[in-house]
Amino acid sequence: MEIDVRNLHPLEIRLLRHVSPGETITAQRLIDELDYNIGHCNQAFSWLVAKGFLEETDRKFRTFFELTPLGYQQLENGTPALRIFNLLKESGPHSLPEIADKLTLEKSDVGSAFGILAKAGSCRMKEGNRAEAITNEAPPEVLIAKVVLAKAASAPLEESLLTKEERAFVAKNSKKRGATASPFKLIEREEVFYKLSESGLEAKKALLKANITGEELGAVTPAILASGAWKQASFRPYSLNTPPARLIPGRKNSYGAYLQWVKDKLCSLGFEEFDGPLVENEFWNGDALFMPQFHSARDIHDVYYLKNPRHAKEIEEPFLHQVAQTHENGWNTGSRGWQYTFDHEFTRRQVMRSQGTVLSAKTLPTAKVPGKYFGVVRCFRYDQVDATHGADFYQTEGIVLGHDVNLKTLLGLLKMFAEEVAGAEEVKYVPGYFPFTEPSIEVHIKHPQLGWFELGGSGIFRPEVTKALGIDVPVLAWGLGIDRMALMHLGLNDLRELFTPNIENVRMRRSN
Amino acid sequence: MPKIEVHEKLFNSLLGKSYSNAQLEEILPVAKAELDGHDPDESLYKIELNDTNRPDLWSTAGLARQLVSYRDKIIAQYDFFSTSEETLDSDGRTLIVHESAKLVRPYSIGFAVTGKVIDEEILLDFIQGQEKLCNNFGRKRKTIAIGVYRSDLITYPVHFEGADPDKAHFVPLHMSEDLTLREICKKHPKGLEFGSIVADSPVFPFLYDDTGAVLSFPPVINSAHIGAVEVGDEHLFFELSGTGLDDLLLAASIIACDCADMGFTILPVRCEFPFDTKYGREITVPYYFQDPVGCELNFLRRTLGENLTGEEIILALRRMGIFAVVDEKMVYVTVPEYRNDFLHPVDIVEDVMIGHGLENFAPELPSDATVGRITEAETFARKVKDIMVGLGYQEMMYNYLGSRREYIENMHVDGSEYIQIANPMSENYEYVRPSIIPSLLESESVSAHAAYPHHIFEVGKVAFLDSTDNSGTTTRNYLGFLSASSEMGFNQLNSVIATIFYYLNHEYVMEDLDDPRFIAGRCGKLLCNGVVVGVFGEVHPAVLESWGITMPTISCEIDLDLLH
Repeated sequence: MEIDVRNLHPLEIRLLRHVSPGETITAQRLIDELDYNIGHCNQAFSWLVAKGFLEETDRKFRTFFELTPLGYQQLENGTPALRIFNLLKESGPHSLPEIADKLTLEKSDVGSAFGILAKAGSCRMKEGNRAEAITNEAPPEVLIAKVVLAKAASAPLEESLLTKEERAFVAKNSKKRGATASPFKLIEREEVFYKLSESGLEAKKALLKANITGEELGAVTPAILASGAWKQASFRPYSLNTPPARLIPGRKNSYGAYLQWVKDKLCSLGFEEFDGPLVENEFWNGDALFMPQFHSARDIHDVYYLKNPRHAKEIEEPFLHQVAQTHENGWNTGSRGWQYTFDHEFTRRQVMRSQGTVLSAKTLPTAKVPGKYFGVVRCFRYDQVDATHGADFYQTEGIVLGHDVNLKTLLGLLKMFAEEVAGAEEVKYVPGYFPFTEPSIEVHIKHPQLGWFELGGSGIFRPEVTKALGIDVPVLAWGLGIDRMALMHLGLNDLRELFTPNIENVRMRRSN
Repeated sequence: MPKIEVHEKLFNSLLGKSYSNAQLEEILPVAKAELDGHDPDESLYKIELNDTNRPDLWSTAGLARQLVSYRDKIIAQYDFFSTSEETLDSDGRTLIVHESAKLVRPYSIGFAVTGKVIDEEILLDFIQGQEKLCNNFGRKRKTIAIGVYRSDLITYPVHFEGADPDKAHFVPLHMSEDLTLREICKKHPKGLEFGSIVADSPVFPFLYDDTGAVLSFPPVINSAHIGAVEVGDEHLFFELSGTGLDDLLLAASIIACDCADMGFTILPVRCEFPFDTKYGREITVPYYFQDPVGCELNFLRRTLGENLTGEEIILALRRMGIFAVVDEKMVYVTVPEYRNDFLHPVDIVEDVMIGHGLENFAPELPSDATVGRITEAETFARKVKDIMVGLGYQEMMYNYLGSRREYIENMHVDGSEYIQIANPMSENYEYVRPSIIPSLLESESVSAHAAYPHHIFEVGKVAFLDSTDNSGTTTRNYLGFLSASSEMGFNQLNSVIATIFYYLNHEYVMEDLDDPRFIAGRCGKLLCNGVVVGVFGEVHPAVLESWGITMPTISCEIDLDLLH
């Protein structure tokens, strides 16, 4: 079996190259011989065991003693017992409270330290409860402290290497947990023993054969480049199959990007964009479109009204009186009108724009002839929100003005949309109905993925719409239902998802 | 848009043959109709009619009539119409409208039919036809209400008057109790549904025959006796009441033509009014009231983009069931008895288009050269979006309607400048978005599971009250952005703002802001040339708590319309 050693980490490589079959491998060995720290050892062992290059042979617990901050303090100043002995030796007898006061020790510490000195026969309590030293030297069990503390300061003491006296001293002065009141902290370490496995040996041979030393360069640093160190070294190969870390990039919204694509497409077809306010009045939302004020789509259950202000201050003239007369008797549009009394208060009532055609109508008075216009605009409907209905949504609408536009150019326009915007292969036209166009045409398309569906509605604006707004040329009006295509494009099937607040969903979304 | 149920047997007998579903789908567009479904067990088609100005198509007979005309190039002919010139014999059948009716519902007209025994399909079709006419064309009985009665129980003349709602009484259909009109409004299901149409009037409409036998309380409910039409009946009286004479006459004509198509004989009724109507004080119904209409050939040809000959135009209209003649300049149309939707010559053009067949018009591309462009606001919005994306922000898109809780309570503001919807469908969509910040915070509140940091933004519209505008409101294009992470704070926000303004090429200054949405002393106003263009700050923990957000959050909002 060929073992791939290119992806080994330098810590693994150096270990494998260093050890021989049959040898016992421990962390301590790596620390001593390869100058690893304990973290390196743990990494190298876990990786190599996972790869099957090392096998565990044994594990043992070892006990160590480490200095606590109090231990370091005692190393510097002496233990309480030594300090008490020295004080009594140099300054004569003292009462215990005096000792505590002079040495700034706790009374309880003074008590127990004096106990040790008295028991060892180095001190005694004379009359008047005054302590005095009675030997020249502090007892061995007190002197030993200095030696042990000094030893422990350079490296933790291993229990098995201590003398009997040292062990007795340390055992009395250490704690496993909560050792702040003791000079030593007891630490139990598990030592694990490993040996090279069969495949570990293969790996070692492969490393030697490929002359991989573990000294190869890892990250290319500015220092390496500046010094030219790379010229004498080789580069460690990196694994190609490590899963990459996730990045969270800044991104445009994919539905927004689709709408932008539609806008750019329409621009490329010669259309100029229009836009307008979200709040409209009944005049522009319906009256100007020659929808009679009693039309069922203008019911309380179809349009959102404003609580305040309920009415616009005024409606633009001359359009108001022209539209009002057109409704009543046709004005000079050639129509007989709807034959009712136009309500001038109702027309000022404010609504949330319910159809994009409103902006088509509003564009008419200032439109160029010939002219092509479009808008992708937010509309509001009194609908129960579900997978196919939103409280607000985008409509794509527009108009074409020209002296020579007619039914055939309308059909041509629809065909162009079907091909350019929807990528449709087949187009079918059927008569439709919209209150503001006559004739009216629906265009159905065979979409490459969605099959047959209604792409949009269109028609030629009724003269009652155009003439009342001062336009004397025919105007083609069209609307495209692009949300279905947008959903397909984004791999969604619920309109509510287009406006989801869920950050993760929006982040992860990509277009088909 | 009305949807009707069509009984296969009746439909096929009127069509003279049966069609497969695929064939129906092929021919229905002529009537702007779509096959919505077919239930073979019940022998029912469900058909949707798209033209709200063609109530004549909302019945089995009316739809069949249009399809047969188109297929066979036949114009339906009816001989039971009186006109301004010729009044047919009503044979003593009279309906008298009393002066008192004017106070509540001025018009009532009627006619009778006989000669065919009603089967279940016809009865259901009658009920459906009436409902569609009354609901969709008669504005839920407000302007048209229709009643059908057993005419063999009626002693003419029939009387229509405005009656005292507390005195006039009868036993209504589907009940056994004798109730006054006012009691009916309170107790009968139809009274509860339609009583409001007349509730404010001093008198209520009341229809009875010459013996005092009650026909109905239009537009609410028939009587349980004369007004209970059943399968097996053969002699019927139709009465229509309402507010507009032309609409009533048209509805009567539609029903009469349907009945005639199904094999009934139509018996005219003379309707007498106590005041002058546009057709006199006496109108014999069915009455043909439509004026001829015409269309200039030039206009027709220019609109269709096709130089149709006179003969082609006449044939196209014939297939629509319309009789027409053509001279040098004009096409003259005799409007069918059951239609009244020719408001403008362009309405003739559409019938010519459908009759000629849409497939016979070759699509042409508009030839005018025009320049396409997006709005300045859109251009600027794209520039802003590019900057935000470059700064690592994810673009979001939100709904523009929200709840009081989202926009006001959670934001700890009073909302006095916000636009409120008077008739919200639910409290979730009661306010128009005044700011993008609540939308961004909603995102944060539902996205705690999404990997941090969160950097999101939207360029979108907001709207709020503004008394200087004609509408009392203003719609603005805003940029809003939000960052949530344990690392983000005031300093990072400052850097983002500085970067945005640098690339937008605007100098700005910051001023102190007192705003409950942000932590005091860690927020500010942004000003360009002395005008406030935005706000920013560390979102106040009280606001975060309301939203259930436990991650430090900063936010900023800029009015883009003030910057480009």
